[in-house]
Amino acid sequence: MNRLVIKNLRKKFNNVWALESLNLELNQGEIFVLLGPNGAGKTTTLKLIAGLLRPTEGEITIEGIDLSEDPIKAKSFIGYVPDEPFIYNKLTGREFINFVAGIYNVRNPDYETRLAELMDILDIGPWIDELSESYSHGMKQRVIMCQLLMHNPDLVLIDEPLVGLDPKTSKTVREIFVKLKDEGKTLFISTHTLSFAREIATKIGIINRGELKFIGDMEELSRISGKKDIEDIYLKLSDDNGIVQR
Amino acid sequence: MIRDLVLILSARAKMFLAAVKSLSAIRAVSFVFVIACFVLGAYYIFIRVFGYLMNVEVIGPGLLDRLIEMALFVFFIMLLFSNVITSFSTFYNSRELDFLFSLPVPPTSIYLAKLLENCLYASWATLTIAFPLIIAYGVKTGAPPVYYPLSIVSIIIYMVIPAAIASALIAILIRILPRLGPREVIMISLALILGLTYLYVKVNNPGLLKIFETENEQSLLLFAAQLTTVGGVYIPSTWLSNILRGFKGAASSATFNFLLLFFVTLSTLLISFIIAKVCYVRSWLSTGEHSNKKVRRKSFLYHPQRNAAKTILFKDLLIFVREPTQWVQLSVFLILLVVYIFSLRRTPIYFFFPLWRTIVAFANFAYISFVLATLGVRFIFPTVSLERAGIWFIGSSPLSFRKVLLVKYIFNLITAVIIMEVLLLSANLFIKVGRGVYLLMPVIGLFVAASLVSINLGLGSRFPHFNEDNPSRIAAGSGGIIAALMSIAYVGASIVILAAPAYNYLSHKFMDMPVNHLLVYAGFTLFVLFSTFTIVMPLRIGIRSLERRDF
Ligand SMILES: Nc1ncnc2c1ncn2[C@@H]1O[C@H](COP(=O)(O)OP(=O)(O)O)[C@@H](O)[C@H]1O
Ligand SMILES: [Mg+2]
Repeated sequence: MNRLVIKNLRKKFNNVWALESLNLELNQGEIFVLLGPNGAGKTTTLKLIAGLLRPTEGEITIEGIDLSEDPIKAKSFIGYVPDEPFIYNKLTGREFINFVAGIYNVRNPDYETRLAELMDILDIGPWIDELSESYSHGMKQRVIMCQLLMHNPDLVLIDEPLVGLDPKTSKTVREIFVKLKDEGKTLFISTHTLSFAREIATKIGIINRGELKFIGDMEELSRISGKKDIEDIYLKLSDDNGIVQR
Repeated sequence: MIRDLVLILSARAKMFLAAVKSLSAIRAVSFVFVIACFVLGAYYIFIRVFGYLMNVEVIGPGLLDRLIEMALFVFFIMLLFSNVITSFSTFYNSRELDFLFSLPVPPTSIYLAKLLENCLYASWATLTIAFPLIIAYGVKTGAPPVYYPLSIVSIIIYMVIPAAIASALIAILIRILPRLGPREVIMISLALILGLTYLYVKVNNPGLLKIFETENEQSLLLFAAQLTTVGGVYIPSTWLSNILRGFKGAASSATFNFLLLFFVTLSTLLISFIIAKVCYVRSWLSTGEHSNKKVRRKSFLYHPQRNAAKTILFKDLLIFVREPTQWVQLSVFLILLVVYIFSLRRTPIYFFFPLWRTIVAFANFAYISFVLATLGVRFIFPTVSLERAGIWFIGSSPLSFRKVLLVKYIFNLITAVIIMEVLLLSANLFIKVGRGVYLLMPVIGLFVAASLVSINLGLGSRFPHFNEDNPSRIAAGSGGIIAALMSIAYVGASIVILAAPAYNYLSHKFMDMPVNHLLVYAGFTLFVLFSTFTIVMPLRIGIRSLERRDF
């Protein structure tokens, strides 16, 4: 069974199509990176899969469960990280992580040791018990990452993970993504950072103005576009005339 | 400096206009409709009451003047209170400030812009009562046309004094006691205002406090009519009421008092401006440092809970107790209510006849229901909007909005029922109502509490404000007004439905009329059906709306 199947997904905001007819299948152990310029429709796509937006047309199936028919069951497989790291101001990082664990009903006996381990890896220990209103953007992102890893979903949806992270944390985060993939999880990551895509993606999508212009792996991409450098390919594809037939 | 001020203000105005434009037509219309209903309703009541008073022989007109003066005095204290409560967040705790202070504009311009914002925000609710009051007064006393513009200008000038005092008070407090957090600052200011008001009344007009010792209705009326001025000559409310009264005869008195009010307002503004010039920037900086103070927190979410409902509840509680504007305002409300309940015991005016006692008990029930409606709009309506920081998580997690709302419903219901029943039972104990009423009212109270919680939670989900952090601003928004109106309409409708059986009960008990069983049963059945509808429907609407919303 496919982990994620998207059929003819479309989304209209106030009579403007933000996403046009998206089709996609993802399996275990894949990292799909969705590339596109600002306003391309990346956040819209991720929010649709996370159940935060209602599709205008089309269907989304997670582990064989239709998101619109049984949203609660379908959502139990996913973990979503928004582009803007919002945390309740008046909770501490630890309280937020525990809040999430309580909602997902995480019950493993080694919860505390695992949390301590993750706090160490993400380097959030020194301030995790302070109110999150004093956190910076990157600090909040790390707490949200920690929360995600604590409830350990099968399908991970991450919107622009590298914005606001320092180089060290950004490296840690990439290592975590690869480790998750090796554990058989599926990752769906949006970004406009090309090097990141080249480094970890097993599958790449390029989206512009709500339309998926390309989907495939790195080799396919350079073969179709006839260019070696991902930057050139990207610029060519996100150019309005450069539509590539699959 | 004026240019900077204009710039800041026009940016504000643009934001406001954008917000108005983004309102859907239905919401805008219902907002205007609600306000209009409220103002017209208040106007109608004032006209009736004033008309009645004008016809009371000899003392009537004097009594009306006292009433107006008393109302203006209470407005003044209310304005001081609401300005103090909102000042802290407007002047020191809003996100926009970081941006404003980074601009090349003098801090005094920021201060003036914020003062205007705070004044409008803290006063508009009082104004919706004050306008119909002064207009009804003008109509009933046959004031000349010039009365209307002048009285409205006067009341707007009048609004500025409490705003300026509150901002100066808070700036000084933060400046001399920089280690205090917001909740302490607000508490100290409120305590100062209350204490000073009490002292002022005690020294200036000790007769006023005797009001609690009057024996019966007649002596109360006489007492009120004999008081020269309620607040004393040094209080702006006296000047304002002299202005309003001046149109009936002594025009020179109106002119004198208007000038007095105008110059005192100007001086207050000037003094607060100078205080702001001296300490606003420093006070603002010191609150920033204070909030960065590293505190390690331990709470009942220090370890994960094994139950989603408990987790939501604990999170809500933590956020509530850590947000001073929330529990400070709740405490103020509750203290005022306790004072009210005890004043029922201390004023024995009405309590000679059982009939009067029962009528007072019904009036008290209506009053408590309205208070609960207000509490609901202020504290329950914003709860869903306050999820804004976590809405991305809740929406993508395997947690249904149904469950989130049910947890919130049950918790708020328990709180509301406790407040309602404690107030009802203790008030009825002090009023010494009969056994039947004493036992029946708490049951009706249960339905009222359950409906009011549902109306406010449901409409809070239907009309959430996901871009506002401040709960009192969420409650004061258009959705909050709709919820307020619905709550009041519910209480009003319930009273109308229950009036017939209540009247039948009274005439049976005190005038030996026969019991009309059909009327009593039909009335209660209708009430139960109506309440069931108002319990179920708003919650359903709220849940559906959240499930269908794009976040
Ligand atoms: N809630 C919304 N209402 C109206 N338009 C929206 C909304 N969210 C996104 N859009 C529009 O949809 C398009 C895609 O936006 P988005 O998915 O956020 O792009 P990206 O994340 O790739 O930068 C943009 O043109 C944006 O203006
Ligand atoms: Mg985006």
